[in-house]
Amino acid sequence: MIKVSGLVKTFSKVNVVNNLSFEIGDGTIFGLLGPNGAGKTTLIRMMCGILKSDAGEVSINGLSVEKAKQHFGYVSQSFGQYEELTVWENIRFYAQMYGVNNTKKLDFLLSRYNLSKYRDFLAGTLSGGYKRRLALACALAHDPSVLFLDEPTAGIDPVTRKLLWDDFYALSMEGKTLFITTHYMEEAQRCNELAFLALGNIVAKGTPKTIKKALGNIKLYTVEIDYTPLITEYLSGIDGIILLNQFGDELRIMVRAEFRISAIEEILKDKLNSTNKLQEGSANLEDVFIALTQESNS
Amino acid sequence: MIWAIAKKELLQLRRDPRLIALIVAMPLILLILFGLALKLEPENIKMAYLDEDKSFFSMMVDTKLWQEGYFDTYKVDSLDSLIEEIRSGRAKAGLHIKSDFSYKLMENKQPHITFYVDGTMPSLTTAMKYNSSTITESDVTSQMYFLDANASNVVIAKTPFIMDTEILFNPDEKETWFFLPGVIGVLIMQIALILTGISVVREKEKHTLEQLLVTPMSKVSFVIGKLLPYIVIALIDFYLILGVGWYFFELPAPASQLALLLLAIIYVSVMIAMGLLISLVSKTQQQAMFIAIFIIVPSILLSGFIFPLEAIPEYIRPISYLIPFTYFVEIIRGLLIKHTLVSDLLQSYLLLFSFVVLYVVLSILVFKKRI
Repeated sequence: MIKVSGLVKTFSKVNVVNNLSFEIGDGTIFGLLGPNGAGKTTLIRMMCGILKSDAGEVSINGLSVEKAKQHFGYVSQSFGQYEELTVWENIRFYAQMYGVNNTKKLDFLLSRYNLSKYRDFLAGTLSGGYKRRLALACALAHDPSVLFLDEPTAGIDPVTRKLLWDDFYALSMEGKTLFITTHYMEEAQRCNELAFLALGNIVAKGTPKTIKKALGNIKLYTVEIDYTPLITEYLSGIDGIILLNQFGDELRIMVRAEFRISAIEEILKDKLNSTNKLQEGSANLEDVFIALTQESNS
Repeated sequence: MIWAIAKKELLQLRRDPRLIALIVAMPLILLILFGLALKLEPENIKMAYLDEDKSFFSMMVDTKLWQEGYFDTYKVDSLDSLIEEIRSGRAKAGLHIKSDFSYKLMENKQPHITFYVDGTMPSLTTAMKYNSSTITESDVTSQMYFLDANASNVVIAKTPFIMDTEILFNPDEKETWFFLPGVIGVLIMQIALILTGISVVREKEKHTLEQLLVTPMSKVSFVIGKLLPYIVIALIDFYLILGVGWYFFELPAPASQLALLLLAIIYVSVMIAMGLLISLVSKTQQQAMFIAIFIIVPSILLSGFIFPLEAIPEYIRPISYLIPFTYFVEIIRGLLIKHTLVSDLLQSYLLLFSFVVLYVVLSILVFKKRI
């Protein structure tokens, strides 16, 4: 159980994290979604005790962060293990930092993450995917009930990403709570719960399915049309259009429910010589992400 | 292309204001400091003065010394304590006037007085020898000729008395004896500051520190755990360097190996702790390197290692006493060359040790505050 109440962090008079409060239940995979600079890393660093908050509290399993260090593990955005040490020396070291000396358990962790064959390899010589696995194994060396993962699959190929996510689900099934920051939609889609962070505020919270309600009553239309800068020129200023998102030869247009759609069709026809019809679709997480980011920036 | 790279380098430099301060301000500060501080001509050198004659004439010698302002004399009551004053470092020189001084003067028998000099610092020895000759100048000696008006064909010596100079501890004035003990300290300082200076910054730059900070590790454990291995390495290095000094350069053995070991442990700990502190306050490895260099250079020049402390103006001398290396130089010369009693070096030992405490406490505080 993670509880955050009234958390604030200010850098150079700017509130990077602005009075945040939320709770995360046991066994949940909680995704913190937000654009770059939204305050995700600042928040996760405060929750792990790396950064002091200006106000507010974080409790993990009912304990303050300082007292709860045995209860959680952390995988930082960048590789935080020692490149000059071998895989085994790294996991041994981190286990010892938590007072764990059970080497059988560590061996099990290495095999769980397919690292046994690299046991005596220097960590610096591992590929990006295996470095991530080592970081995870090190974070789990003391068998924590909460795991903080800061962009855990950034720069990782889709196959390894899938493998890692299979593991995250397995950890969640074991009752561990996972707190994951990301800006990958595909990754966000996999979480049980999501919070959308923009400019230090949570602007939307819910399951991947329900989070789009944060945008209110909206509709999404798609139309086949090749990209041209004129689309933005003609459509972006129109009141009621929330989002224009070109996806290959498909233009995704998010509008307020009451918006008169024929207005767009007329512009497409008159100014862009496109007679293709608009089709109603459903907003995906990326549409919501971009729309929320634009909304919070405006 | 060259221009673009050069411009990029300058831009990067401009974005690191601490580094700019280090490379611009520090050389200026050091130049001014050294310009004021570095002189070869010492003043107010402590001199133990043993006057067994206690006559008008022996007083004349003392007065002359006092007037010149070069020696700062104080009285001792035996030759043993005169030598001991120099051995302990409380005096750098001594003057012995025997009880028959005025008698021999009156008899025109050219009495000898003995000038004792600490030989562990050749530049100071030379300067003292030169300056002590003021004693035999004519304004003193002119009043010391005694002529019997009735006597004939009396041969009067050209000088009424003769001053002998005895160089203590380093009678051959071997420069290696003077330099090598200090050189060991300089080498250890370099190794320790560079070795530890980058240790924490590297962890910051490689993000391993972040990973460490989420563990239950205490800040004290971190600081002590960082210090210990480097202390052992630097200690091994210390004896390795010293061994070479003993083997190839015939450095004398210390009066007490235990006292030397104690010095080695304390000194190495000071340097490693200082390196750690540098590493904690630096944001980049480059900054750490520069800070280390700017500590090493004044340490060498203001510690009495090359230039005698007595030659450093008194208003700058407090800086010398803030340099741990100053105490190391004094102790190691005492132990190896002068065989000074440990009890006489105790104060320097304690002051050197206080730097260990200071740097470790500061390191823990900085670590708690900044990280």
